[in-house]
Amino acid sequence: MGGPETQDGHLLAVHGLAKSYGPRRVLDEVSFIVRPGEVLGLIGPNGAGKTTLFECLAGVLSADQGEVHGPGGRALAPAERRSVMFYVPDGVAPWPDQLAGSVLLLFRDLWRLAADRLASVVDSLALRPLLNATVRSLSKGERKRFLIALGLLAPEPLLLLDEPFDGLDLRQAREATVVLRAEAARGRTLFLSIHQLSDAARACDRFVLLADGRVVGEGTLAELRSRAGLSDGGDGMEEVFLALT
Amino acid sequence: MGETAWRRCSSRSRKALALAGLEARELLASRAWWLLLAMTGPLVGHAFMTAVESYAEMSGAGGGPAALAQGLSPLDGLIVPTFGAYDLIATFLLPFVAIRLIATERESGAGRLLVQTPAGLGARLAAKAGVLLLGWLAAWIPAFLALGLWLGYGGHLSFREVAGVFLGHLLHALLTIGCAVAAAAVCRSSASAAIVTLGFTVGTWALDFVAAGRGGLLALLAPFTPEAALRTFEHGELRLALVAVLLLASLAGFAFAALWLDPFRSTASRVLRSAALLILTVGAAALASSWRSGWDLAEDRRNSFPRADEALLRTFRQPVRITVHLAPEDPKLSDLEINVLAKLRRVLPRLEVDYAAQSRTGLFEDADSHYGEIWYAVGAKRELLRSTTEPIVLAQLYELAGVAPPPGETDPPYPGYPLVAKPRGAAILFFIAWPLAAGLAFVVFRGRRRSSCANLV
Repeated sequence: MGGPETQDGHLLAVHGLAKSYGPRRVLDEVSFIVRPGEVLGLIGPNGAGKTTLFECLAGVLSADQGEVHGPGGRALAPAERRSVMFYVPDGVAPWPDQLAGSVLLLFRDLWRLAADRLASVVDSLALRPLLNATVRSLSKGERKRFLIALGLLAPEPLLLLDEPFDGLDLRQAREATVVLRAEAARGRTLFLSIHQLSDAARACDRFVLLADGRVVGEGTLAELRSRAGLSDGGDGMEEVFLALT
Repeated sequence: MGETAWRRCSSRSRKALALAGLEARELLASRAWWLLLAMTGPLVGHAFMTAVESYAEMSGAGGGPAALAQGLSPLDGLIVPTFGAYDLIATFLLPFVAIRLIATERESGAGRLLVQTPAGLGARLAAKAGVLLLGWLAAWIPAFLALGLWLGYGGHLSFREVAGVFLGHLLHALLTIGCAVAAAAVCRSSASAAIVTLGFTVGTWALDFVAAGRGGLLALLAPFTPEAALRTFEHGELRLALVAVLLLASLAGFAFAALWLDPFRSTASRVLRSAALLILTVGAAALASSWRSGWDLAEDRRNSFPRADEALLRTFRQPVRITVHLAPEDPKLSDLEINVLAKLRRVLPRLEVDYAAQSRTGLFEDADSHYGEIWYAVGAKRELLRSTTEPIVLAQLYELAGVAPPPGETDPPYPGYPLVAKPRGAAILFFIAWPLAAGLAFVVFRGRRRSSCANLV
């Protein structure tokens, strides 16, 4: 699965995205790029504007200003972004009275996926025992794995996952990381919103640091470390984050 | 059809089937629908048993004097009261089922996922509408069981009368669904959507009530409120204008919902397009309301002149103008509408009715206001008449048009269908068997679906 690229080799370029709720500025001139095939982490504390940024990017929430450029450098209207990205929100329990399996089958049918693709996603996230459970009855971690599966089934080149590790225990988080890395290895681009820095460091190639609605850093861990003026050796993600925010 | 077109068509059908399956499962998982289904039994049963007993009394049960046989019509005596239960169900239960199908999707986050899939909003709403209609039709099983019992007692039924009243209820349900879906799309919570939908219903009741005492625009709108429209169908009349306006209003509800469920639109765009949709709907409805085509579905032809008179009236080429000096609250105006004007509208090629009274009651009209007069004009000839009786008005119109009345009445008289019967078996069927069957079906459905997915993935 090779992702399409912009003229500059980017899958997505975001320019000056802004969003306010009344007098409260939630996103302020947010700009960054997404490269094809990478796992990009959106890092920020609670309330930094991560979910708002994802929703504005996906177009399901209208931004006050700013542009999103897709493959070929063309500005994408909100409704057009569906062809480039698929966004999986955090904290939702879609169709709570349906069986998890029937929702997965629905996604398979809507995208006309091969049966083995659905089976491999189900097995990779250990969802087979949950197929006959209603979505409402899934635990937080089970629901998170189910949501990741829905995202993996969508064929768009860019997958936006809001807090994919929230609710997963350490073992599950590591297993989910392996699954997501494998998806990236297939050529798909992942953009993950994460507030646990250890998860982010383990899963992502590059990072966009968001604080109070502004991008305070973008790059690999080494690039961010350098920008923060920290030593190349022992300083990890947490020190970098604290230094830049 | 080329291979590409065939593939596209096949792909669309597969998506449509997937969406229809989703909505069907959502409906079957909805307790509100199962409750609606269970409650139709007792509601229809009570209405049916009361109707059968009243019909028997009017037919002379217990040795009492029977009403004139000609006056005993199953349309008024059985079909209308039995189906009347669905007026209640459509008003107070159906909105909750419709709202749930929209609101659950939004509140659970499913809508945000689905909007990013290839399932278009139009296809999604069409699937919801189709499934809701099927759900509504399933709730009609008790009504048709009641008709079966009636036939079993030896009763008479006219298919046209049953179909007409059923169509009225179907359009009423469609309008309710359209309104509920629109409200659910705009409101943030199911409770608010329910209040808006019930508010709409109460508003149309108020309009119906107020229009009865006032003329003008309100009187023009009133025949198209759900209750007034249903009364027309219950009277055995099928008006094309009514069907068109109710269908337009229902479709407008779905189009409105599509605008407000589309997250890719800004609020300003939604408001502008909603205003455009409203103007378009009102314009189309105004146009459709002028259609005069209609059919009298009543077996006793209560909404028609005798066939010979209708044939003669259809040959009138000169315009007919009727000026009515009767106030909206005057019962004579109501008589004139039912006995004369409604029938004339269907058969005269060119008819204009002018309501000239100045007051609501007519009690305090000026002495020189000609109150109570009804002027009939055919071409240049004009004559005053105060009667609202059908044969007298027809004779006057023939005289003004200079044509001879048709030869004596040729229509066979309506025989009437008296029936003395007791509602045997109805109580057990509607109060016990039906609710139990609905409850059992609910339990079986929940049990079966749990073993349905594992083998498919």
